[in-house]
Amino acid sequence: MAISRVVGSVFQNPRSQFFNIDTDCELAFGCENLGMNPEEIKQHVENVVQEFHLEHLLGRSIFNLSGGEKQKIACASVSATGPEIFVLDEPSANLDLKTITDLKEIVSRWKKAGKTVVIVEHRLYYLRDVADRICYVKDGQIAEEWMPAELEAKGAAYAACLGLRCMNLEQLCEGMVRQAHRHDDIASGEIDDIASDKNNVIASEAKQSIIFSNLTFSYHHKHPILDIDRLELPCGQITALIGHNGAGKSTLAQVLCGLLGSWRQKRAARKRGTYLIMQDVNHQLFTESVLDEVLLGMKPQDEKLALEILEGLNLKQYADNHPMALSGGQKQRVAIGSGISSGCDVVVFDEPTSGLDYRQMLAVSATLKKLAASGKTLLVITHDPEFILNSCQSVVRMEHGKVVEQYPLSGNENQLIKTMTGKL
Amino acid sequence: MKLDPRTKLFLAAVANGMIFTAPLVYSLLMVAVASILLLLEGKWKFVCIFFFVYLSAGFFFGQVKNLDIGTSGTIILASLFLMYRIMPACVVLYYVVTTTKVNEFLACMSRMHISNKVTIPLIVMIRFFPTVYDEARAIGNAMRMRGIRLFSLRTLKSPVAFLEYRLVPLLVSITKIGDELSIAAVTRGLSAETKRTCVATIGFRWVDFVVCAYCIVVVVMFLLRN
Ligand SMILES: Nc1ncnc2c1ncn2[C@@H]1O[C@H](COP(=O)(O)OP(=O)(O)OP(=O)(O)O)[C@@H](O)[C@H]1O
Ligand SMILES: [Mg+2]
Repeated sequence: MAISRVVGSVFQNPRSQFFNIDTDCELAFGCENLGMNPEEIKQHVENVVQEFHLEHLLGRSIFNLSGGEKQKIACASVSATGPEIFVLDEPSANLDLKTITDLKEIVSRWKKAGKTVVIVEHRLYYLRDVADRICYVKDGQIAEEWMPAELEAKGAAYAACLGLRCMNLEQLCEGMVRQAHRHDDIASGEIDDIASDKNNVIASEAKQSIIFSNLTFSYHHKHPILDIDRLELPCGQITALIGHNGAGKSTLAQVLCGLLGSWRQKRAARKRGTYLIMQDVNHQLFTESVLDEVLLGMKPQDEKLALEILEGLNLKQYADNHPMALSGGQKQRVAIGSGISSGCDVVVFDEPTSGLDYRQMLAVSATLKKLAASGKTLLVITHDPEFILNSCQSVVRMEHGKVVEQYPLSGNENQLIKTMTGKL
Repeated sequence: MKLDPRTKLFLAAVANGMIFTAPLVYSLLMVAVASILLLLEGKWKFVCIFFFVYLSAGFFFGQVKNLDIGTSGTIILASLFLMYRIMPACVVLYYVVTTTKVNEFLACMSRMHISNKVTIPLIVMIRFFPTVYDEARAIGNAMRMRGIRLFSLRTLKSPVAFLEYRLVPLLVSITKIGDELSIAAVTRGLSAETKRTCVATIGFRWVDFVVCAYCIVVVVMFLLRN
């Protein structure tokens, strides 16, 4: 018997599991393959549409969905078939925190219905109340096994040293605030230079910020996806861009970088020099070696400067390697290198930390901090509160294509978590 | 305006046959239906661009026909002319690929008692083009940020390098797309043995009869032309 009858799986990259071109067909596809009768299928599809709140996504082409919307459709289409065993590979990687709460509810409903659910995940906090068992895999073996409460009792430091994300968002926030105060009092060890960088940046912040105005855009003439009069990015700082799935964050990033928009917007973007690090960096690397990758965008090609840039990103020893043969984090750094070499002052990142464990997240965070310290202005689209608390200095929140809030992070940590989880 | 997938297949088959055997007029007749159908789908942009390119190409060949341009010139011109002759078929295929939903196609093939072994590769093909297009768009975006554009001094200087930058990543991802699609088919339970049902309603309606009749008339006209 076909395994798909018993096991429903959602892949990490939702793109690789879509077989249809539009969302309606995709939702019904699994059921159709099981040979259910059409009336029953319609009922099932209707149910998942309600559970996952997908009403606005029906009848769309899957190529025109935002990252999070794709992931929702992927989860829903598996849920519709109602298998006995669910296997989800990082289902929350691109979801906003509110949708993650929905996901949690759905998982607990599956559990009540007697299904077996296996979730491979970095974000643990939403599974705290639903998971029965947490297995920690190391070198291809299950190295540890806990109940969620057990793991939580061991404390955040223990989890962090295994490279695990936090178990409890509220605690995370308190921890961060405390840490921030500590940094103010005593600067210690390696955190020292980052912290002092931070202070320098804050000192220079008052001077300058980059202002974007008239950011409007629509995919179809009907209704605007973006409608922003004014967006202000403090120079030399890391700004987080948050907002619900489909708010228009990735669209904003592309407009800022001159990939979408009117001819005028594109020209302005080219003059300004804005570089986008896409979520799928594989699309961005296309030469034979890391060094070529950095040289490609340079106006006068200067090998010495290129090597310096690579040195700064800890990539010098890979200069002659093929970019595709590097690890995910290294590829991302190569892409950053190519951005630096093309002389851009503003670098936009589209969800750089989705699907990363705590350690890798810290590594990305360190790279970004370094980049900001070198005078670049960074805008980071993210759904990852841990990352924001770790590295950003200010926050911009979008909702339905508009900027609704903009505030410096320090002092507003609680507000951030609350708005992100939708509890406000 | 929804056509039955079988009608679309028939349309595509007739169009292809006409283009390689019949004089230009017959392929133009096929272009006419396809454009009307595309306009009804709201794809007027595509139709406009197509007619612009097609007509200017036709004009160009009309002008160039009697010039003497040497052997290499003739070879280049001949291959361009071949592309020009294939264009009508491309419009029809574009219509079929962009408007056929995967499940409708599967349903109609199973109604014609065609084995899944034949259907699944065809379906993968239908699904393949838009994916490649999407991928090409992403790669194009990345290139533009690096200042590698089609209309720039740099491309003019070394067009081969431009093609390389553009095509190599695309080829890499095309191989990946094929794999991904076959994996998707397996995990979603589509295989040679599955007996599937379908929520989409398919069936012949009057539009289908009109289009089929039109195609048949064109074929008969072609066969009886002398
Ligand atoms: N190519 C497109 N054509 C039409 N609509 C699109 C296209 N790309 C995105 N959209 C729509 O525009 C809206 C904004 O999309 P965008 O990708 O900017 O969202 P986002 O804020 O990045 O969301 P996420 O957090 O899920 O990544 C969404 O409703 C999406 O469905
Ligand atoms: Mg996005």
